Amino acid sequence: MNYKAKQIIKNVRVVIFLVLLVLAIVSISPRPWVDGVAIRSVVSNSAALESGIQQPSPTLSPVNRERILEINNEPIKTVENYYGFVNTLRINQSIQIKTNKKLYRLTVREHIDTIELNETEKKVIDEIVTINETVNNSIVQTNKTIKKIIDVPKTRQISKGVEDIGIRVFKAPKTNIRKGLDLQGGTRVLLQPEKILDAQDLQTLIDNMGERLNVYGLSDLIIRDASDLIGNQYILVEIAGATEEEIRNLLAEQGKFEAQIANKTVFVGGKDIVFVCRSADCAGIDPSSGCTQSAGQDICRFRFSISITPEAAQRQADITRNIPVAGENNRYLIEPLELYLDDKKVDELSIGVELQGSATTEIQISGSGTGSSQQQAIFSALDNMKKLQTVLITGSLPIKLNIVKIDAISPLLGEEFLRNAITAAISALAVVSAVIFARYRRFVISIPIVIVSTSEIILLLGLAALIGWNIDLAAIAGIIITVGTGVNHQIVITDETLRGEKFAANWGERIKRAFSIIMTSYFTVVVALIPLIFAGAGLLKGFAIITILGASIGVFISRPVFARVIEILLRN
Amino acid sequence: MDENIGQKSSFSIASSIQKIYEEKYKQLLIIPFALLLIAFVFIGYKFAATGEIINKDISLKGGITVTVLTQQEVNLLDVKKSLYSKFPENDIAAKSITRFGAQSGLIIEADIRQEQSAAIIEELGKILNKKLLPHDYAVEIVGSSLGKSFFKELIIALVIAFVFMALVVFISFRTFIPSIAVLLAAFSDMIVTLAIVNILDIEISAAGIAAFLMLIGYSVDTDILLSTRVLKRKEESEMDRIYGAIKTGLMMSATAIVAAIAALLVSQSEVIRQIMLILLIGLLIDLINTWIQNVGILRFYLERKSRKHQHELQG
Repeated sequence: MNYKAKQIIKNVRVVIFLVLLVLAIVSISPRPWVDGVAIRSVVSNSAALESGIQQPSPTLSPVNRERILEINNEPIKTVENYYGFVNTLRINQSIQIKTNKKLYRLTVREHIDTIELNETEKKVIDEIVTINETVNNSIVQTNKTIKKIIDVPKTRQISKGVEDIGIRVFKAPKTNIRKGLDLQGGTRVLLQPEKILDAQDLQTLIDNMGERLNVYGLSDLIIRDASDLIGNQYILVEIAGATEEEIRNLLAEQGKFEAQIANKTVFVGGKDIVFVCRSADCAGIDPSSGCTQSAGQDICRFRFSISITPEAAQRQADITRNIPVAGENNRYLIEPLELYLDDKKVDELSIGVELQGSATTEIQISGSGTGSSQQQAIFSALDNMKKLQTVLITGSLPIKLNIVKIDAISPLLGEEFLRNAITAAISALAVVSAVIFARYRRFVISIPIVIVSTSEIILLLGLAALIGWNIDLAAIAGIIITVGTGVNHQIVITDETLRGEKFAANWGERIKRAFSIIMTSYFTVVVALIPLIFAGAGLLKGFAIITILGASIGVFISRPVFARVIEILLRN
Repeated sequence: MDENIGQKSSFSIASSIQKIYEEKYKQLLIIPFALLLIAFVFIGYKFAATGEIINKDISLKGGITVTVLTQQEVNLLDVKKSLYSKFPENDIAAKSITRFGAQSGLIIEADIRQEQSAAIIEELGKILNKKLLPHDYAVEIVGSSLGKSFFKELIIALVIAFVFMALVVFISFRTFIPSIAVLLAAFSDMIVTLAIVNILDIEISAAGIAAFLMLIGYSVDTDILLSTRVLKRKEESEMDRIYGAIKTGLMMSATAIVAAIAALLVSQSEVIRQIMLILLIGLLIDLINTWIQNVGILRFYLERKSRKHQHELQG
């Protein structure tokens, strides 16, 4: 027996198999001791993001997600703990968040909503103007700061209580296996464009949606083309931890952007805008006007530049040519540039007289934000700027999208499903083992079968963790089926080997015979599942891929090892 | 004494079954072919009556499925009735999720439109006497046109899968009749399973069609084993090779069947349950189609071949 054990350990196939098994476990990296909550996403412009907490990268492996350990020295063990604590926060309270990476300090902000009243008020602002001056008989341009009084709508600020610190959390993952939406909770939406798009337009559409959804601080986001066998086009959007309503709202905001002058469209988002500057040198708080104070209110102005296509610039020139000049110093046109998002006016910009009739492709967009302190005004200005930039970058989606399918799974239900699916898989393995024991009544046969079957599951999960493939319910069904075929093949190997004993065929011949049966059945399973990868908007892709991978691992890695082990164990 | 007689009589039953199995294999072929014919009649009747060959569930015909896990004992009929009173124009089904026989949750299916999804969830909440929040339930909403195209696609996938599988079988065996026998067994498995699923009034989901695909893979396993042993081995008598294949094949089916039963009993997930149920029915039907139909055709083929061979020798 000892001799046989040595022979098994020394076998090259067995060694490779064991190494792969170790690698699979490393790839899964089970950490049962980990508890607490992991950061799913950080809301943009939130107190958390300001304090330096990083938005997790979607490519980060699950166990490497940043985990919150303590807040104000109180341990945070569960998601309920976290939200329970967050609900007790007061405005201006300082908190310390300790994660497994760093200690962050942040101050809880007040949630202030600014509403516009139906009245206007006069406001004095500083403005830098460029004027032509005659110095020494030559005309030079100089900058001068002038005070200007403008009419702005009166606003009122209402406190809406404590502002969310902006961290979304979930139960810290204990392994690197990525759980599918139906096991971790979240929403999946299948969208169909109203008309068939070519590949490039479809990709642009997907990129746009990705960008827009990202801006709303969502990580764990999947947007992909899910076109199918019979030429239907779908776009699949999956957001972990989001509810159905949230996604519906987000998608509803995929609006169209239009800039108009005197009710005539100058440019539309996406199509006419070629570049939106977001770097510090051409976007941010306007250094020339900066922040001002008026009526106890701080106002900060932002500005950023955009480039529009020559066609849009020409339209701009044609429309503005005949618009009269107004305002003091005749510096602005009487009609402003109005920005519409989903047919709702979101902003209005005065057009400088120098732009009249000229086909400028560079346009400076400016706006403002207000707040009760200068810092708040800066935040608000930057926030408004970012929103406007996003709208301009992503523009209007070129086509209307219909929601054709929605799946929303609550995280609680997902957890229950997962626990249950694991129980189902373990029960299946247990009864199969029992049947094998009952049939062969020899531990040298049944124990290797159980070990090999279990390690096939580990190898498969390790591979899934490595390539970042999600394990969902259908994939678990695929795993159970893989184990089933695996056991079948091992039975074939065992029986061929035992039969071989009777007919004194040599070992190589017996194994070869077994594998001729196994390979044929392997290929039938693989070819039967290939069409499923492409059918049904890819919703059964997980099932097909996992089953094919599992069968391949079995046929090429674990079952040859089983054959060798059985050979060594049964040979006299 | 009595025990001995008992053993003897059961032994004689077994040996007479064995005798029938060995000698009357052509007559036995009637069983699988009759099953196939009856299955065709059932499916054809269903098609004539409803225009469909299967009962489609929400994922293939469009509508909403709401899954709520609740310890609360609810009467399904009451739930269905009160939902029906609010949505009289719709087809509504209420199913319970059971785990080890006890009710652990509720599945509501209705062929309503997307816009009404919130209304039906609210209504369900009223029945359960609590406000259902997003973390209490799972919801699946499928547009009806999507359901139709899904179905069409999966059927195409099924046909392609079958053709691919046929190619693999032909390449592997390179003889016409044995290959056809394997394909016929796989085909009969699917048709008879479909008829049984219809009789049991099971609504098939997209995952269920995937299970039919899996059935192709599983059912040909034993057929390939049988054909390889019978055609490519020479050591024993033909009948002994068949018995050897049966021994291995039954073991394969037995492990798959117990695994499917275990998963079926334990699982709460409709996806897993349906895949396992269809596999289970298919595996049971496969016993007949492999060990009676495929064996019968193979023996018929070998008999003709050896007669031809003898003929040639004599000639």
